Amino acid sequence: MFKQFINTLQGDEVFMLISLMIFLLFFIGATIALIKMKKNHINYMSNIPLEDKTETYN
Amino acid sequence: MQADKFYYDNKIVRDFAIATLVWGIIGMTVGLLIATQLFSPAMNLGNQYTTFGRIRPLHTNAVIFAFVGNAIFMSVYYSLQRLLKARMFSDALSKIHFWGWQLIIVAAVITLPLGFTSSHEYAELEWPIDIAITVIWVIFGINMFGTIIKRRERHLYVAIWFYIATFITVAVLHIVNSFQLPISAFKSYYIYAGVQDALVQWWYGHNAVAFFLTTPYLGMMYYFLPKMANRPIYSYRLSILHFWALIFIYIWAGPHHLLYTSLPGWAQSVGVAFSIMLIAPSWGGMINGLLTLRGAWDKVRDDVTLKFMVVALTCYGMATFEGPMLSLKGVNAIAHFTDWIVAHVHVGALGWNGFLTFGIMYWLVPRIYKTKLYSHKLATFHFWIGTLGILFYAIPLYWAGFTQGLMWKEFTPEGLLKYSNFLETVTRILPMYIMRSIGGAMYLTGVLVMAYNLVKTAKSGKLVSNEYTEALPLPVLPVESKREFWHRKIERKPMTMLVLSLIVILIGGMVEMLPTFFIKSNVPTISSVKPYTPLELHGRDLYIREGCVNCHSQTVRPFRSETERYGEYSKAGEFVYDHPFLWGSKRTGPDLHREGGKYSNAWHYNHMMDPRTMSPGSIMPNFDWLLDQKLDTTTTAAKIRAMQTLGVPYPKGYDAIANQDLDKQSEEIAANLALDKIKVKKDKEIVAIIAYLQRLGIDIKNKN
Repeated sequence: MFKQFINTLQGDEVFMLISLMIFLLFFIGATIALIKMKKNHINYMSNIPLEDKTETYN
Repeated sequence: MQADKFYYDNKIVRDFAIATLVWGIIGMTVGLLIATQLFSPAMNLGNQYTTFGRIRPLHTNAVIFAFVGNAIFMSVYYSLQRLLKARMFSDALSKIHFWGWQLIIVAAVITLPLGFTSSHEYAELEWPIDIAITVIWVIFGINMFGTIIKRRERHLYVAIWFYIATFITVAVLHIVNSFQLPISAFKSYYIYAGVQDALVQWWYGHNAVAFFLTTPYLGMMYYFLPKMANRPIYSYRLSILHFWALIFIYIWAGPHHLLYTSLPGWAQSVGVAFSIMLIAPSWGGMINGLLTLRGAWDKVRDDVTLKFMVVALTCYGMATFEGPMLSLKGVNAIAHFTDWIVAHVHVGALGWNGFLTFGIMYWLVPRIYKTKLYSHKLATFHFWIGTLGILFYAIPLYWAGFTQGLMWKEFTPEGLLKYSNFLETVTRILPMYIMRSIGGAMYLTGVLVMAYNLVKTAKSGKLVSNEYTEALPLPVLPVESKREFWHRKIERKPMTMLVLSLIVILIGGMVEMLPTFFIKSNVPTISSVKPYTPLELHGRDLYIREGCVNCHSQTVRPFRSETERYGEYSKAGEFVYDHPFLWGSKRTGPDLHREGGKYSNAWHYNHMMDPRTMSPGSIMPNFDWLLDQKLDTTTTAAKIRAMQTLGVPYPKGYDAIANQDLDKQSEEIAANLALDKIKVKKDKEIVAIIAYLQRLGIDIKNKN
């Protein structure tokens, strides 16, 4: 099944460009999402490892 | 709301810690042994079970899957429970995971010296062990996701994402690179051949580095570094960005291991492009780690665990800068096949994986034993001798790599190779090999000191097997508000995370591999290339058994310096019957792809018995047992049938008569050896390996 699918492609370049576009869109999307992320949520998340109170410090 | 009372399982953490220490010492000791073999062939200890070719895979498997593997599990079992405020899902699964993994390692320690190997680097273990690895890995996954499901913390901290990505990607890599056709309990052939097999292997090999040595360690860094410094990670945003970027980009970069080979050019270019991009997410992780210590550098002066973390992150930064650089075609042309690569790998392994593991162990062991570290002085000593060990290891090898890489390419004004004898380029770098083993010995000394220190620490306290804690159960979620941020939703949903990670890593692998598998023009066939004769096929399997591929490549790159030295450069069509491919990744000895017909049968016979009689100063081990051991021809039919199944065009029914051809060919070789006054029975293994070596690369030679 894959064989038919792949053989119908025009050339390798198109394939490459599509993959690169997927990546760039994904990357830009993630960046925008991160910029919009709320500060208090970030503080909450980054403090999760430090919450554990069972520690003995030496 | 009433808080739940429960216990963290520290015993499993302790067990994995012991395994980390024990296998670390064993793996590094084997490493030191093979380092000495490279300047003193006597260190091969005169028997087949301890020759370089067989125990080099033992070293790599022991340090990667036993030392680093157990360190990953130790850290995951410690941090996962605390980040999720839940005990591990099932104590029984934890135990099965622990003992299963150790049994797999024991199986590797037994089978690799016996010569049972698939020849794929870092995936040498034969098919029954591959199946065991799959089962145990799935058990680890069930235990991890079970814990995630019963968690008391709604959001998954970034360390857990790295663990999830590790779990799913290693599973995919392992399965795809283990498609083998078994012919007996410990022998199988890869279903892929030649170029395709090479592509799959290095897609796997590179991502074993990415998803076994990098992503779990980044997860560990994101948990333990904030704990040690007692401050949150520098930028949580950066950690998310570099997580997605890292897992997306890494999966594409494999072909940079195959530059200038007969892999299609477009695949090489894709590999280079993504390798260069990799520097961004890699350095994102390093910078995030180092900046976490901003304003806390005074702590680094006093706290030995932080010292280890800083060197680990620095080495990570160096190795991930060097990686993209080595992927540039111009640099790769010189560096590939030399000790430069070995140095590069060890900066990552000794610095990043080793030191991060040590830092975590110094921090963790006193905590689960409710005591203090036995000796800070010894730990500081370990830090310094380890750091010096890395320098003494890496610098001589960089030097050796540059020297040899340039010597291979140097021409005289008349246009001839200046060092036409390969051996000259080897004897030149032997002093560097000696220095490197001194560096390795220093590093190992540090580890032994750590083992003593940690055992003393454990003895001074008592293991808190079950650590008491309390946490509020998760409240039932209110109906989700539509305005909630999408990434926040993902952070709550481990299965979505798993599926997203899977999609992200599959894109790269599929784009690279599918065209090479399904577009015919990517692997042009050559009509003069014929399947191996039965005797040659046996010889090839002996070549695999003895691990020749660890020191000899079988791919001539299209450079004048290589075509002058070895002959015509390698074409994709020459490898179509090679299950598995044997291109190799290091030239401790010369390339063998055009070896056929270069020397007489008698030369090969004497060279195998004692390489120094033919090439004085050679560092190749003796393979004298090949002269005495009888070739097992009972498997011939099964081998031919397996090859037929994989598409090698032997005539129908050939399996039944293959041994007749085998006899005929071995008789000819024995008769030819007799002319040189060498008496050898035709049924010895040496005859088969000579047949194979004399066949190498001649399909194209004969045509010309």
